[in-house]
Amino acid sequence: MKKRVTLTFPRRTVHMPVTYRLAKEFNVAANIIRAQVAPNQVGKLVVELLGDIDEIDASIDWMRSHDIIVSVTSREIVIDETICVDCGLCTGVCPTEALSLHHQTFQLQFTRSRCVLCEQCIPACPVLAISTTF
Amino acid sequence: MGVQRTITEINAKIVQKTAIALTVTEVKQRALTESIADIAATVDVITTGTFEPMESTGAMLNIGHTDPPIKIRHCWLDDVPVYAGLGAVDLYLGATMPPEIPPDGEAQERGGGHVIEALIAGKSVPLRATGHVTDCYPRASLDTSIRAETINQFYLFNPRNLYQNFIVGVNGSDRPLYTYLGVLQPTLGNAVYSNPGAMSPLLNDPDLTVVGIGTKIFLGGGVGYVAWEGTQHFPLQKRLENRTPIGPAATVALIGDAKQMSPDWVRGCYFKHYGPSIMLGVGVPMPVLNEAVVARCAVQDDAIVAPVMDFSIPRRVRPTFGLVSYAQLKSGRISIEGQTVRTAPLASLYRSQRVAEELKQWITAGDFTLTEPVAPLPSDRAFLSQDRIDTAMRLDT
Repeated sequence: MKKRVTLTFPRRTVHMPVTYRLAKEFNVAANIIRAQVAPNQVGKLVVELLGDIDEIDASIDWMRSHDIIVSVTSREIVIDETICVDCGLCTGVCPTEALSLHHQTFQLQFTRSRCVLCEQCIPACPVLAISTTF
Repeated sequence: MGVQRTITEINAKIVQKTAIALTVTEVKQRALTESIADIAATVDVITTGTFEPMESTGAMLNIGHTDPPIKIRHCWLDDVPVYAGLGAVDLYLGATMPPEIPPDGEAQERGGGHVIEALIAGKSVPLRATGHVTDCYPRASLDTSIRAETINQFYLFNPRNLYQNFIVGVNGSDRPLYTYLGVLQPTLGNAVYSNPGAMSPLLNDPDLTVVGIGTKIFLGGGVGYVAWEGTQHFPLQKRLENRTPIGPAATVALIGDAKQMSPDWVRGCYFKHYGPSIMLGVGVPMPVLNEAVVARCAVQDDAIVAPVMDFSIPRRVRPTFGLVSYAQLKSGRISIEGQTVRTAPLASLYRSQRVAEELKQWITAGDFTLTEPVAPLPSDRAFLSQDRIDTAMRLDT
């Protein structure tokens, strides 16, 4: 199964090779969607965990035991359809084409699974229709 | 010769609710399989539309006199400065004017366009004004709030709308550029086009044969009129054989009662690190007076082009990477010097289409008749610039 989680690393665990340990000890592949890591600072990682359901759960327990905050409800891009005017300006800055225009109606479409949360679409929107959850 | 109709004949059919109106998209579709003559014989009006940012847009307001009266000289609507150098309580609110924020205040991503939208939505907007005290106008200041229904006149008067074609913006530099076309990513990271192409009103009447001063239009969800030529009106732009221009060309000034308008079609907008503006829905009916009107409306996206401009060169005349067709632009990718570049529109193609559909509904329902232009728009305006020779910059040769 696949599970998207946000990991927050306290300063002392930033040095830990987490993705290596997940693969080696739990056979869980961690696909990094987004990362914000610097030495001696709180780090954030959005990852998609791929593996056996029990092993994913075990790996999450293990990370929590090492003071890594695991948030299962990860941050998401939200488009307010009552504000959006379907101009499509955001589609030009979206690196993964999660935001695209329907080829016939030219209405904005958002393919959530492709979104890597780079957030470039947020300042690009001229009517401020795009935000993130929490 | 083919079919010939007059506006009077078309209007008689509209009033009887027997007029046949098609959107320009429907006409282009039919033109792929049917002859121009057949379409002209069966269609009375073709509706075009656009929904795009139009910076040279603004609202005229007359707020009514206070007691004692005031001659307003400085005025702010929701902190956005308003021009007050007219009659005592006449105000002009420009769409791109940013708010005046106190030095310790937070920057705000809004401006005149948002105030216009709020008034059209029926909202109450704070008004602050100071006056020039005279014997006629003893009052010195005013602090109140206004709504569309509490003021006398509230109409849009837009000095430049409906650009007949525009440009495509790219960025050849190594840092992002924040422009009126939105963010342009470095090293040709994206390309932005702002005209909806073949469905755009003035590209379907390239020589302004049926559109003129006095033409009745759909403006922001209400009824408006072409008032004059637009600022920077440049009909002498180079044109293709089908008469569509290869870059920015004709423009029109539009006027219409904002009290009839809807925030669905008038939306304040903001471009990061560039400033506020307004997005406007405008629809123009093309009366099928003869076959030539249909022939012009049959033009397709692959037969209309726009120049690709590099915004990294901070000059009035920017280098161009050549011309691309709207069919290429709408496919989502263009090729610039061998590099594939993703394109994004700035006009809402979806809403542009909806404007044309809405206007078609009005005509079919008998609610919108057409007008005969009272004067043609000029066809020979030069495009002047403020060029001057800067001697300090000149190198001795």
